[in-house]
Amino acid sequence: MCLGIPMQIINIQGYNAQCEAKGIRREVNLFLLQDEAIIVGDFVLVHVGYALQKMTSQEAQTTWELLDQLMAPT
Amino acid sequence: MIAQEWLTKIRALPQNSPCKIMNVCGGHERTLSLGGVRTVLPAGIELIPGPGCPVCVCPEEDIYAAIQLALREKVVVATFGDMLRVPINAGKQTVRSLEQARAKGAKVHPISSPLEVVALTQQQPQQKIVFFAAGFETTMAPLAAMLAQGIPQNLSILLSGRLTWPAVAKLLAMENDPVLLPARKETVNPSHSRIFDALVAPGHVATVMGTGEWEFVVKQHHLPVAVAGFTVEGLLAAFYSVLRQRAEGRCFLDNCYPQVVKPAGNLTAQKCLKETMNVVDAQWRGIGCIPRSGFELKDRQIDARYQFPDYTSEGRERRGEMPAGCECAQVILGRIYPKECRLYGTACTPRHPIGPCMVSDEGACRIWWSAGLK
Repeated sequence: MCLGIPMQIINIQGYNAQCEAKGIRREVNLFLLQDEAIIVGDFVLVHVGYALQKMTSQEAQTTWELLDQLMAPT
Repeated sequence: MIAQEWLTKIRALPQNSPCKIMNVCGGHERTLSLGGVRTVLPAGIELIPGPGCPVCVCPEEDIYAAIQLALREKVVVATFGDMLRVPINAGKQTVRSLEQARAKGAKVHPISSPLEVVALTQQQPQQKIVFFAAGFETTMAPLAAMLAQGIPQNLSILLSGRLTWPAVAKLLAMENDPVLLPARKETVNPSHSRIFDALVAPGHVATVMGTGEWEFVVKQHHLPVAVAGFTVEGLLAAFYSVLRQRAEGRCFLDNCYPQVVKPAGNLTAQKCLKETMNVVDAQWRGIGCIPRSGFELKDRQIDARYQFPDYTSEGRERRGEMPAGCECAQVILGRIYPKECRLYGTACTPRHPIGPCMVSDEGACRIWWSAGLK
């Protein structure tokens, strides 16, 4: 539940955004980033459905790789 | 920089004395355990999982109250999936978890986001719904955002939110006051008495709250601190930082996750938290009361503690304690490793958990078990 997942914004409607991570789409709430300039294509760190921070595509990529390693069957 | 390069830098540092580095985040512990990081660090460096699991410290009374709400009031209890299997202290013939309440026909709904709770209230407008919310700052900020946006009439909240840093302050206070120390002798490197020599601070808590919360560890306790991200490289960078600080005989608060963590944190999130919640003294399961370590809802109209009978104070045996024989509290306090608990991997496994640390994905015992550590 504390796990932050990087997601890319696909479209924005008010405080709601469709975001994608590795082909999976979810609704994400942008309320906590209301004071930031957020545009489609940005990467955000998502916790329990809420974006907490903007991040770079490179940081998103590194985190996805980590999650792939941790989630892989051992 | 890649992991191998960080390791080379760490190995090149002079190692004068053993060093215990504590993390206070299940996400950190997961990367360290599953990545086998302990096995590649120089001897003398110990990585200690501390209070990093909100489910593990959620008061037993609160879980009991959530179970009673589900069983005795006509409500749906929505809660994060991790909470369903945490056992309370009750006889074998009685309902001991939200999962068992659900099996008895109670309406218990696992969710992974406050957004799902809002959707649930809209799908069932006539149904009273209680959101039983445990979590640290990273979960409380989204909850605060949900409240700030306005919640439906049929929703109330049973809040068990906690702040991370006061638990670390409590650990350090215990160290200076032998009276507060638990009776059990410390087994993590008993040769020196410190609970930890350096701290790796949780990157996502700092993303929300800023880095300044951790200054007290440096200023009051003169210990090195580094805020860390969640990759192996990010954690090795933080270990290098704190070990180098020690080697050079100085300490400061380093931000090793600047890609995401801004010094001031997320100001909107902090404003939402301040507007919707008070910071109060709070109970940590098996540990006791920690000053100013919990969140309380400002609006009593939506607070399930005021909307329903007070089930938390119903008298029961071992109320608020860890289960008998369970050493989760010692694990959370960083005084023993999971494998040092007698129940670990024997009576207590993820399939049949006894203590909360074996239930939650952020619990040290569950993480160690997943990583095959015995």
